[in-house]
Amino acid sequence: MTADERVHLINGTFLSLSPHRHVFQDLQKKFGDRMIAPPISELGFCGLATGAAMAGLRPIVDLSTGSFIYEAWPQVANEAANAFSMSGGQTRVPVVFHLFHGLRGGGAAQHSGSPQAMLWNVPGLEIALPSSPRDVKGLFKTAVASDNPTIFVDHIRLLDIRGEVPESDKPIPFGVADIKRAGGDVTLIATSYTVQVCLGAAQKLAKEGIEVEVVDPRTLVPFDLATILSSVEKTHRVVIADETHQSCGVAAEIAARIAETGFDKLKTRIRRVSTLDVPVPYSPPLEAHIGPTESRIMEAVRAALI
Amino acid sequence: MATKKENLKEVVELLRRMWLIRAFEEKVSALYAERQIVGLLHLGIGQEAVAVGALSLLHDDDYVYGGHRSHGHAIAKGADINKLMAEIAGRATGYCGGKGGSMHIVAKECGFITATGVVGGTIPLALGAAFASKERKKGQVAAVFFGDGAGQAGPFHESLNIASLWRLPVIFICENNGYAEFTPLSAHTKIERLAQHAKTYGIPASTLDGNDLFAVRNAMTKAVANCRAGKGPVFVECLTHRMRGHYEGDPAKYRELSQLAEWKKKDPIARVARMLRSKQAITDKELKAMESKARTLVEKAAKFSLSSPWPADGSLTSQVYKTT
Amino acid sequence: MFVIRHFEESLVPLHDKGVFSGHYHLYIGQEATGVPALSCLRADDYLFTTHRNHGHLLARGAEPKRLFAEILGRVDGLNGGKGGSFHSVAPSLGFLHSSGVVAGIIPLSTGTAYAAKVQKNGRITVCLFGDGSLEEGAAPEAFNLASLLKLPVLFLCENNGKYGSGRAVAAAQSSSMAAYPLTDLPKAYKVPAQQIDGIDAGLVHATILEAVEKIRRGEGPQFVEAQTVRYPGSATNWPTVPAPTDTALAWDVTSVPEKAREWYRSADPLLVYIRELVEAKQASRDEIAAIEGQVKTAISAAAEFAVNSPFPKLEEAETGFFA
Repeated sequence: MTADERVHLINGTFLSLSPHRHVFQDLQKKFGDRMIAPPISELGFCGLATGAAMAGLRPIVDLSTGSFIYEAWPQVANEAANAFSMSGGQTRVPVVFHLFHGLRGGGAAQHSGSPQAMLWNVPGLEIALPSSPRDVKGLFKTAVASDNPTIFVDHIRLLDIRGEVPESDKPIPFGVADIKRAGGDVTLIATSYTVQVCLGAAQKLAKEGIEVEVVDPRTLVPFDLATILSSVEKTHRVVIADETHQSCGVAAEIAARIAETGFDKLKTRIRRVSTLDVPVPYSPPLEAHIGPTESRIMEAVRAALI
Repeated sequence: MATKKENLKEVVELLRRMWLIRAFEEKVSALYAERQIVGLLHLGIGQEAVAVGALSLLHDDDYVYGGHRSHGHAIAKGADINKLMAEIAGRATGYCGGKGGSMHIVAKECGFITATGVVGGTIPLALGAAFASKERKKGQVAAVFFGDGAGQAGPFHESLNIASLWRLPVIFICENNGYAEFTPLSAHTKIERLAQHAKTYGIPASTLDGNDLFAVRNAMTKAVANCRAGKGPVFVECLTHRMRGHYEGDPAKYRELSQLAEWKKKDPIARVARMLRSKQAITDKELKAMESKARTLVEKAAKFSLSSPWPADGSLTSQVYKTT
Repeated sequence: MFVIRHFEESLVPLHDKGVFSGHYHLYIGQEATGVPALSCLRADDYLFTTHRNHGHLLARGAEPKRLFAEILGRVDGLNGGKGGSFHSVAPSLGFLHSSGVVAGIIPLSTGTAYAAKVQKNGRITVCLFGDGSLEEGAAPEAFNLASLLKLPVLFLCENNGKYGSGRAVAAAQSSSMAAYPLTDLPKAYKVPAQQIDGIDAGLVHATILEAVEKIRRGEGPQFVEAQTVRYPGSATNWPTVPAPTDTALAWDVTSVPEKAREWYRSADPLLVYIRELVEAKQASRDEIAAIEGQVKTAISAAAEFAVNSPFPKLEEAETGFFA
């Protein structure tokens, strides 16, 4: 907000339920005239943000719980995503929609959504999916600087992760995947918080003598297939772990792309570890069971090596 | 003010129900503090008069829809508190087998159709029930509870319009407690009374003291009569206050302590108790016994819930789709 | 107004001959609202419009040949052929986006108004939509936001549903909107609102001028409902032209088919305006007929240009969706 006075924040509950949300109170003091807290009107304020972007501001909208983007779907998918193309390239929409996706512990069916797979199927939207504090900072800078409507898919569990964040303001470009852990046995592609789960799984698997390479695409649109294919070239085995539901999920699309372009590199079928195709149940043990858990990931990796 | 028509014996029963809700919510809150219940929990302590006042006028086969703060609504409609608490605790013996949790209560057998975690999410659904009821011609009505935060949502307006156009037998019950999550209503809109929106669409509307059990019952009696007679929807706005934060864990620093003190004086349960005492319809001893009985029942529900098994893994993929 | 009228009328044979396909919506019968209203604006104000946008774009000065080309999906179109009738834009004229989704633009207009307010550039936003938009939840959400944030936006609702076809005339003026008058809806959120006769060009001009001035003074949003009678040519699924417009119709409608005659006689805003000009001796019948002649020639040429404009190259389908 310091760097660019066109940046405005829309929604007063940034960081929503997090104990860290007081941080935004400090922002309020400094940039109060560029922050508005709208009523519970997702359709209305996402449209407002989109229109403001068309008029040259660079708004950041926080939808808080990812499922709430469903309330604003027409403005995001039918207006923001289409405007640049429909106008023949004349109208830009540099808006960022920030949201917290995924299983949070007791969120139940309506507060645990991961809309990024559906949004990947809407051409015209860029999608960023950070997995670590460093990625959040770097990707966010790129999101705000981008002239395209961007969905910044955050995860509430990332707020508890501690990690190194560079002092510099260097942005992380979109379309560049990151090798979070090098290894020669299996290519384990993961997104968002699941990357952290995979890193834990990788440590355990190392004790079994299995070295996985954890590859984090970091953005879905644009997507870095090349880095993934080089990894597959090395390991010949792929497991994809992601928190969207299995059917038409993020893992499904990544699997399809690898199968189409890197089939000859594979020695075994691609395995997906996605959230089950069920509405997210409330009960904690049930919820803990349906996601891409560490045990399911490890099982898939071992199976890939048989 | 009680109407002459109120049968004092009935009022005692209503007070019993209010106490059940109060005790239930306080117990659930305690369990949450002990981390026996997780997730998001929104309590309706202080809003019991709306739930009991409104729902005491409906039949079992009338439809009721709620929001995220609906434990009281379900109880007032006749839900079994054991199954209710088990659901909030995520157990297999809960109303939804542990799948729904606090915000997604379904107690179909007593007519509590569903609650929702999405603000205003059940308002259009209530229209559907009212529509079906109109087709069926059995005089059933649909009632939907929502808060002042829903007044700015598009679907709220769309529903008012359609209900009015098609004269649907739906009662819109707005619990205006002055806060939408962590901000006061004034930060969301220049309108102070949501009943005004109903009037825009030609729907008869009233605003009343939601902490006055009898005022609620009066308004609801008229509303139910209107709907059953096929005259179309009614809007009832109940001014009330939630004594806790938006959800458990919210310290509610945005609320003035003096405001809290003001509302404590208007405690709905205390008011009914005072009224009954003044009419010599109840003694102090009986009042204490009533509270005690409520707490005992709630303790039993807690024991039942916490000793119930978690849902089996197999239940995960069951009940996602209906198969014959 | 002549430009709009003849432009719109010439679309019908082009469509029926198969020169372009897809649905399109004519602004015939609403010219006396769009033209005077848009003349009250500054060059740098923002405008949003809907699927019924041709009249607005032309009123604001878009070149007819480029609008024709866009509707025909040709490369010389305003959007390079990517938008079509529903989505024509002209950013240099202030039209950043047009939506085919009813009420799609209403929330967007609060956005440009917000941007103008924070950038303090004095620009206002005009949101042009029809009576149907008020049925969408997006509309009251936007009124609330505009009111709450005191945004510089003019909501101009063109209600062409007056005794319109397909809608029941009951105590409420619409079978799909319970609120009546429609101005009750923005008023519910404390947005000042008024109803006017959209066929009276002079009244429209005076009303919008005043509303725009209030908004520029920082008084917050305004809502104006301009009522017109729906054009009989849009009564059917696909637009038709019951009678081609001609200055002479202002005094003699015997050549118009009976079903449509009353509309041309009393509710056609263009003919009403022509009569006004002649009665006020600001122009003679002949002078007006001459202007019309020139316009018809120009419109013909514009259509010709569009028909001869090539389609975009196929590769264009795969580019131009990210900046």
